[in-house]
Amino acid sequence: MQIVSVTRAIAIVGLVLGLIGIVLRVQEIRKRPYKQDLSRTRGNVDQALLYAFTLGMAPWEKESTRLHWMAYVRGILFHVGAFVAIGVFLVSPWLAAIPFFLSLVAMLVTAVGAVAGFAGIGMRLAEENIRVLSLPDDYFAVFLTSLFVALAFAVLLWPVALPAFYVVAALLFVYIPFGKIRHCIYFFYSKFFFGQSFGQRGVIGKTEKRYLTEEII
Amino acid sequence: MTDEKFTDDRFKLTDEKAELALDILRQRLNRQLEASLEVCVRCGICAETCHYYVSNPKPEHVPAYRAEQLRKVYRQLSDPVAKAAPGWIGAAELDQEMVDQLMSAAFGTCTMCGRCVLNCPMGVDTRHIIRTARAMLTGIDMTPEGLKATVDIHLESGNNMGVNEEDYVDTLEWMEEELQAEVDDPTVKIPVNKKNARVMYTFNPREVKYFPYLIQAAAKIFNAANEDWTLSTESWDATNYGLFSGDDDAARTIANNLGQAVKNVGAEILVMAECGHGYRSQRWEAENWVGESYPFKVMSFVELMAQYIDEGRLELDPTVNDKRVTYHDPCNQARSGGIVEEPRYILRHTVMDFVEMEPHGIENYCCGGGGGMLSMSEFSKDRVAAGEAKAKQIQATGAEIVVTTCHNCLDQLAEVKRHYKLGVKVQNLSELVAEAIVWPRRAESPAEETE
Repeated sequence: MQIVSVTRAIAIVGLVLGLIGIVLRVQEIRKRPYKQDLSRTRGNVDQALLYAFTLGMAPWEKESTRLHWMAYVRGILFHVGAFVAIGVFLVSPWLAAIPFFLSLVAMLVTAVGAVAGFAGIGMRLAEENIRVLSLPDDYFAVFLTSLFVALAFAVLLWPVALPAFYVVAALLFVYIPFGKIRHCIYFFYSKFFFGQSFGQRGVIGKTEKRYLTEEII
Repeated sequence: MTDEKFTDDRFKLTDEKAELALDILRQRLNRQLEASLEVCVRCGICAETCHYYVSNPKPEHVPAYRAEQLRKVYRQLSDPVAKAAPGWIGAAELDQEMVDQLMSAAFGTCTMCGRCVLNCPMGVDTRHIIRTARAMLTGIDMTPEGLKATVDIHLESGNNMGVNEEDYVDTLEWMEEELQAEVDDPTVKIPVNKKNARVMYTFNPREVKYFPYLIQAAAKIFNAANEDWTLSTESWDATNYGLFSGDDDAARTIANNLGQAVKNVGAEILVMAECGHGYRSQRWEAENWVGESYPFKVMSFVELMAQYIDEGRLELDPTVNDKRVTYHDPCNQARSGGIVEEPRYILRHTVMDFVEMEPHGIENYCCGGGGGMLSMSEFSKDRVAAGEAKAKQIQATGAEIVVTTCHNCLDQLAEVKRHYKLGVKVQNLSELVAEAIVWPRRAESPAEETE
């Protein structure tokens, strides 16, 4: 019982440090100048932004994700597993109160997520292109997150695994602002700029045939 | 070690040059760039989106690999972890080796076509990253010679081929006579410096120097559509290689000259010739370079031709173009400009047998002629090799004519055609439109009526 309290406290400290790091990262990017586009809008920016954050992420929407659908779906499962693992972390003091059905779903998602995560390391090692691109940070970040997801699964089955889960969670949270996991911060900016720039030019997010319906001049 | 292609002294990195290059990176580091530098997870699924990779699959041709070269420098500059463990996060000093890597990645093997941008699940704008790398290298006088000369000539003479005003006007007059003879109508004109015309048109200097028949074709289209149009002698070059060199100052000056000419003529619309990057520069980038919105509209000749057809201002006979035609989307017009439907609309009215390449539109492969590649002879071999993806696309259509709306594409496609022995003809869209025009019967003059 005592070790659970101690490790939980460590995890909370890790979470706070991680959040501080995230806030600092957000402050840093917000300090950068924002390049306003002065050209006349051709498309529907709102539609394009909606597309960028929704349908644009579907596996069939891009040639790259159609070709590499297995890697992409693996990534999605891993990320869903990670989000559910964070959820498990947040409700971990009240594990016994989680309805059985919810617990079962969380177990399934985290189990699949953990397998998908560890498989990612294997894919990185196996495929030449990704291996050449990969940094030690990539392997460590994926391993740490996969371990976190695997331990989330474990604590749902065996609460005795809580101390290990908390220690790994603390490490993970502290590491977020320093390594590749911080892409979770920049993702929202990047997708926003993607939708905005291609939407401005009418490249994505079109709902109808523009030429035949919109007056060009 | 310096790349053997770049042995000139100006390609040697000094401490001052390294500091200047880093300063340029610091200055250009806006939110958009930082997001693109930070968000890549090195998944590598962008590989097949690149025509260099498709034609020659190796890790160095993966778009993320190219962008990674600048990321290394960025991390060294801004990431606190880089001080303690540069290898852990892939940070690197900007030394001679790094500069050589950047030269190869930014100038040698990327046309900034944006296909990887559209296909990145994270939204990484590799185009932006590569142009930043080019800007850094240009800032320290490391632009490949041909590209540098193209920008310099434009700044010195007002156009990128050094055509003087006398030759320009002579060519216009010559083409006016040719057109009058072609349509048997001495009243057709190529107006120059006409005040307050609705449309001011531009040319790619290659049209003036090597392809004057395209001037004739454009003039025929404007006259047939009964357009109120003009050309300017003050500034008429549609190109802007500042886009490719990454030199915003040069790009701004070139864009400003053209913008000023439109204002002086008093035109409502600036129409860009069939020039992919010229259209992109003036339509989408210029106002950002100049720092103000234009009081006039900018559009592509492709958009205008489509509008003429839609409004019934051009009568076309597609039976004169009865061969099978396919269309190559210039990246700067389709992927960076959204012009996809217009050329197809035009072709449906202009030719009898139009067939699409696969993929096409915004997913079309770059032909290899983008990014100013044709001006950089150091990379010619790689450029032609990268055209293999396009050659296969063309071959699969069974077309006899490949139509495009960009001069760089036109030149690259002609080279691809020769190299890969494709039995096709490469043409501009306006040529086919001009060919298909049923010349309008003008109202007979009162004198003729009397006779």
